[in-house]
Amino acid sequence: MFKRNRILAIKPVLEAIVGPENVRTDEAEILMYSYDAGMARARPEAVINFTDASQVAPTVKALYAAGIPFLPRLAGTNLSGGTVPLKGGAILNLARLKKIHQIDTAAHVALVEPGLVNLDLQKALEPFGLFYAPDPASQKVSTIGGNIGENAGGPLCLKYGVTANNVEKLEVVTPEGEVKIWSHRDPGPDLMSLIIGSEGTLGIVTRAWLKLRPIPPHIKTAAVAFTSLDAAMKAVTRIIKEGIVPRALEAMDKVSLDASLEGKANPFPDGTAAALIVELDGSDAGAVKKELETVERICAAESCAVFRVASDEAERDLLWQARKGAYPAMARLAPDVLVEDGVVPRPRLPEALRETREILSKYKLTAGLLFHAGDGNLHPNILFDRRDLQEVKRVKKAGYEILKACIKLGGTISGEHGIGVEKRVAMNWLYGPGELAFFRSIKNAFDPKDLANPDKILPVAADKPSETSGLAERASLSPEARTIIDELRLRSMRGAPTAVTCLGTRLKPETIAEGAARLDLRQLSGAAVIDADNLTARAEAGLPMEEFLKQLKDAGFHLDLPETGGSVGGAIASACPGLREILLGLEIARSDGSLLDLGGRTVKNVAGYDAVRLFCGSMGAYGVILAATFSISAGPRRGREHAGLPAPVTFKPDSYHTRLKNALDPENLLNPWIYRNK
Amino acid sequence: MRDNDYQDQREPARAGMEMDSTVVTSASSHIHREINELYGHEQAVRHLGSLLTNLGEKSLYDAVAQCNRCGYCETSCPTYSITGRETISPRGRNQFMRMLVEGRAKNTASAEESLSTCMLCGACSTACYAKVPTADIVLEGRRALKGYGDNFFARAAVGLMLNAQWLFDLWLKLAYLAKRSGLPRLAAKMGLYDFVGMPGLAEAEHAVPKVPLRFAAELLRSDPALKPGGKSSVGWAYFAPCGPNYIFTGVALATVRVLSRFCGEGVFIDNQCCGLMAHNYGRLEDAREFARRNISRYEELKALLGDFPVIADCSSCAAFMKSYEQLFTADPLWRDRARAFSGAVRDILEFITPEQTAAAAGDQAAGGGRVTYHDSCRACHGQGIRREPREILRQLSGSRYVELPESDWCCGGAGAYAFTQPGISKQVLDRKLRNIASVQAETVVAGGTSCLIQINAGLKAAYPSAKAVHYSVFIDEMTRDKKQPDRVPPPASV
Repeated sequence: MFKRNRILAIKPVLEAIVGPENVRTDEAEILMYSYDAGMARARPEAVINFTDASQVAPTVKALYAAGIPFLPRLAGTNLSGGTVPLKGGAILNLARLKKIHQIDTAAHVALVEPGLVNLDLQKALEPFGLFYAPDPASQKVSTIGGNIGENAGGPLCLKYGVTANNVEKLEVVTPEGEVKIWSHRDPGPDLMSLIIGSEGTLGIVTRAWLKLRPIPPHIKTAAVAFTSLDAAMKAVTRIIKEGIVPRALEAMDKVSLDASLEGKANPFPDGTAAALIVELDGSDAGAVKKELETVERICAAESCAVFRVASDEAERDLLWQARKGAYPAMARLAPDVLVEDGVVPRPRLPEALRETREILSKYKLTAGLLFHAGDGNLHPNILFDRRDLQEVKRVKKAGYEILKACIKLGGTISGEHGIGVEKRVAMNWLYGPGELAFFRSIKNAFDPKDLANPDKILPVAADKPSETSGLAERASLSPEARTIIDELRLRSMRGAPTAVTCLGTRLKPETIAEGAARLDLRQLSGAAVIDADNLTARAEAGLPMEEFLKQLKDAGFHLDLPETGGSVGGAIASACPGLREILLGLEIARSDGSLLDLGGRTVKNVAGYDAVRLFCGSMGAYGVILAATFSISAGPRRGREHAGLPAPVTFKPDSYHTRLKNALDPENLLNPWIYRNK
Repeated sequence: MRDNDYQDQREPARAGMEMDSTVVTSASSHIHREINELYGHEQAVRHLGSLLTNLGEKSLYDAVAQCNRCGYCETSCPTYSITGRETISPRGRNQFMRMLVEGRAKNTASAEESLSTCMLCGACSTACYAKVPTADIVLEGRRALKGYGDNFFARAAVGLMLNAQWLFDLWLKLAYLAKRSGLPRLAAKMGLYDFVGMPGLAEAEHAVPKVPLRFAAELLRSDPALKPGGKSSVGWAYFAPCGPNYIFTGVALATVRVLSRFCGEGVFIDNQCCGLMAHNYGRLEDAREFARRNISRYEELKALLGDFPVIADCSSCAAFMKSYEQLFTADPLWRDRARAFSGAVRDILEFITPEQTAAAAGDQAAGGGRVTYHDSCRACHGQGIRREPREILRQLSGSRYVELPESDWCCGGAGAYAFTQPGISKQVLDRKLRNIASVQAETVVAGGTSCLIQINAGLKAAYPSAKAVHYSVFIDEMTRDKKQPDRVPPPASV
C-alpha cells in the first residue's frame, strides 16, 4: 500500500509539470502498461504522458528525488520485456513527442523527437532523396526513441550499420534529471554510444540527431528460392566472401514464407524450403548489375530453384512485405510467439541452424525461421499458446538452449532486440563475473539509486550464474599480455600510477605527469589473427597500424578506415575517425590487472552496454587495451584518403566521464593527469 | 505489494524470466482451467454466441488470445495515433478484454474509456495478420458494461423503430419541421432527436443543411416500377439504409437511378433498418429482430423472383448485413438463413462495373475540379472494397481523379462517435481535411453516410470550396443523359 502512497506524495509536483490529465494512476491505465510484445508482466504505479520534451527532465528529477523507479516507453513493441516495470514506479510515455524539428539536407542530419515512428521519418525524408538506414521490420510502429533504446538493426544494417552507426548526437535526460547533449564526435570516451542500446537504464533520449544518407540511384532486389535452407546459408557465406556487401541479405524458411504471403501472390515455386532476399545498391548501374550477376552465379552454384529480379516497385514491395510481415504473421499460426535473437559468426550459420532445429524438435516445437543472414543474426519465431503451461516451459527451455548454442559457436545472445528481462539470465552464460561487475559499475555511475528501468539487462541475484567462467578466462592471452597484467597488478597493490604508452605517436613524454611510470605496450605486437570466412581480424594493441594493414593486405583484405599511423591500441584510445564503425571487440586490462573481454566477433551485438565504443577515445584512462577485433573487408582498398593524426583536442571531461573514471579506476592509477581536476 | 502481483504470485523473489503463466483456460486447450465470466449465463442472449474470425469460429476468449501483442496495428489506429496511449489502442483494447476474461482486470467499468473511444473503423484488423476482430471484441466488451444499451433513449429509439415505424418517422419529421421552421435549437432542446436515437442530428444541423419531409422509402414504395408484381426475375433489389432514407433522400434516389440505368430491372425491398444502430447501441436482441425481419422480407421476394443481389448504398449498413451470420452463431435455425441473406448483399461501391458505365461515360472534364475518393471504413476495412470504386471514378473523371493520401484513415464520423467523443473525432477529422486539401480536391466521393455528414461539416468550416458527395450521386451526375429525363426525378429536397 505504501507503494501507491509514494506516487500520491509527489503527484501534485508531477501534475504541475505535465498537467493533471497526464498523470494517470487509474486501474485501466496501470493494466495497459503492464505488458509489451514480450512475455513479462508487471504493473506500474503511474503512467505519465508527456506533451512536450521539456517536461521530461523535471519529471525525472522529481521521481529520482522521491526514490520512485521509472522507465521510458514508446510503442511497446520490444521483444525482451524491456518496457515492463519490474519494480513498479512510473511509466514515462513519450509516444506523443514525435516532432521532426529539422531535416538538414546539406549536412544530412535530421533532428527528431523520440516518439517519431521510424517509417514516418522515412516518408518525410523521401522527397529529399534521403533515408535513415535502420529499418527494423517493426518500422511502421516502432519509434526512433525505441530504436535507440534497443540499438535496433534491420535488413539494411548489413551495409549501413545498426542504430549506433546512424546517430550523430543525442540529448539525454540522465537518471538524476540532468540534461546532457552527447555526440560520438565529442573528445573523450564515447558517452553517446553508451546510451544507445541501454534500454532506458542510463538515461532517456529526448532529442536525436540522426545521420541521413542519399537514396542510392540504383537498387536491385532479387528473390532466390532454394529447396534447402542449408544451401541458402552456404550461398550467403559465399556472397559475403566474394567481397559483395549487399544492401540487405535476408533468409526465410517455408513456415515464415507461407504465413506472411497468405492471401498474396506467392512469387516462389512449390517445393521452396527457403528463400533469400538479396538487395544490391550503388551509384553505378554497371557495378550493381555486375554484382547481381555474381550473386546469381553463386546462387546457381548452390543449385537455387529460382532466381528472380524484381521487375518493378510493386514486386519489390511484395518481397519486403513478405520479409517484414514474417514476424507479425506468426499470429496466424498461434496465439503467442517467442522471438529469439541469437547471433553467430556468419560462417557458423549452418551449424547454428542445425542446432536450432535439433532443439526445436527435441522440445516438439514449431518455429518460423528468419535470418538477417548477412549478419549471422537468427530469429527463430517459436509458436505457442501461453495458456498451455507445459508448452510455455518447453518454449522457455528451447529459447535458452538456442542462446547457449549461439554462445558456444562464438556468437552472442542478442543482435538487435535487447536483453530486457527475458535474456537477463543468459548474460551469465555469455559474460564472466568481471564483465558483469564492470557493466554494473557503469550503471551505478549513471544511476546510483538504481531507479532508471531497474533490474534490466544485468542479471539479478536470483538469476543463476553459469558454472563455466566468462569469456575472459577462456581468452588466449599472449605471454606479453600476461606480463602487462602482472605489472598492473603489482602497481595497483602499491598504488603506483601508470602512464599507458606505446609507440609514442600520440602521448608525448612531456604530457606525462603525476609521476606516472610508463607502461609500454610495444611488445604486444603478435601477428594479426585473420578469420577469412567471418571477415574479422584480431590484433594486439602494440601492433603498428601500418603493419596491421600490411598483414591484412597480404591476406587479401583491408580495413575500411583512413590511414592514421600509430599503434592499434593508440588508434582506439584516441578514437581515430571511422574506427567506431568497424571495431567489434576489445580485450581490456583494468587498473587492478583484472581482465575484460568486451564485444565479440559478430557485427551485431547488443548484449550489455556498448563498452567497446566507450573505450574509443578513453585515452588510456579507463583501462589498458590489450587487443581488439575488427570487421575487415575483402579485396583491396578502394581509394581512401590518408586522414593523418587528428588535431590534438583539449579534453575537458564531462561530469559523467569523471563518474565513470571513478567507477572504473577509483584510485586514478591510469593516466592520472587526465582526471586530476576531479 | 499488490502492484507487481503478476510476478509476485508466481515467484516470491524477483526471478529469472517472468513468463506469463496466470492460470486460465481455453476451449481449444486440453488443459482445464477456470476463466472469468464476463456476464451471467442469463445474459447470454445479449451477447454473441461466438465470433466469426478470419481464422475460423472462435469464442471471445480465443479471439482475443489470438492477439500476440506484436503491436503492428497501433499506428493504423486513429485514436492511438492521436493520443499515444496504449489504453486507447487496438492492442490495448484486446488486452483489456483478455484481462477481463482472465479476471486480471477486476472492474469492468475501468474498461469504459478504452472501449468507448473505439471508432470501430476496423483499420487495426486490416493491419493485423491474424485479422483479430477488434471491433467485434470491443462491442462484446461494451455489452458487458453495466447498463450499456439500457439507457432510456436507446431503448426508446430502437423500440420505436422496431415496433412503431410510423411513429418513428412522424417523430423525426416533427423534428425536421421544427428545424425547417427556423427553430433548430428548439428541436434539439425538445429532445426530438434523442428520442429517435439520433442525437447526432441535433449537433450536425450545420452539416445537414436540408432535411427531407418525405423519406426515400415512401417515395420508392409508391413507385410502380420498383414493385415486384409481374416480374419473374430482377437484376437487383434496393435496400434503403437509414442514412439515405431519413437524411440523404437524394442519395437513395440517385442509387435507384444508377441501378435502373445500368443493371436492368429491379425492386425496392421495402426494408427495415438493418439493425446496425441497435447493434452499436448494445441492443443485440433488437438487432437480431431487425435482421430476422429483413431476412424474412428477402426470402419472401426470393420466393417470387429467384436469386437477386441486395444493394445497399451506405457502407456501414452493407458491411453489417454481410455479417448477419455472426448475430446468430448460437441459433442454428437462423444461422443458415442469415448466411444466405449475407451472401446476396452488395455495396453499391462494388456493384457497378466499368463495363456497365463505359457507354455512358461522358465528358470527363464536366464539373471541373479534382475528384478524390475517401475509403469509408466499413467499405475498405469492413468489406475489403478498394479497387472497384476507383476504377469507376477514374473512368468517369479521367485526369481529374487524384488519390487521397491516407484515404483509408477514418474521418472521425463513425456513426454517433463524432458526438460522443468530440475531442478525438475533431483531431481525426482534421487529418482527413489536411489530406483532402493537400491534393486540392473539390469533390470527395465516399460511400458512407456518416462520412458525408462528418467530412462536409469539416470542409464547410476549413475548406469550403470542396464538398463530399455520395458515390451514387457522383455516378448519377456523370452518366446522366441530359436530353432524356430520368424516370425517377431528382428530389426537390436535397
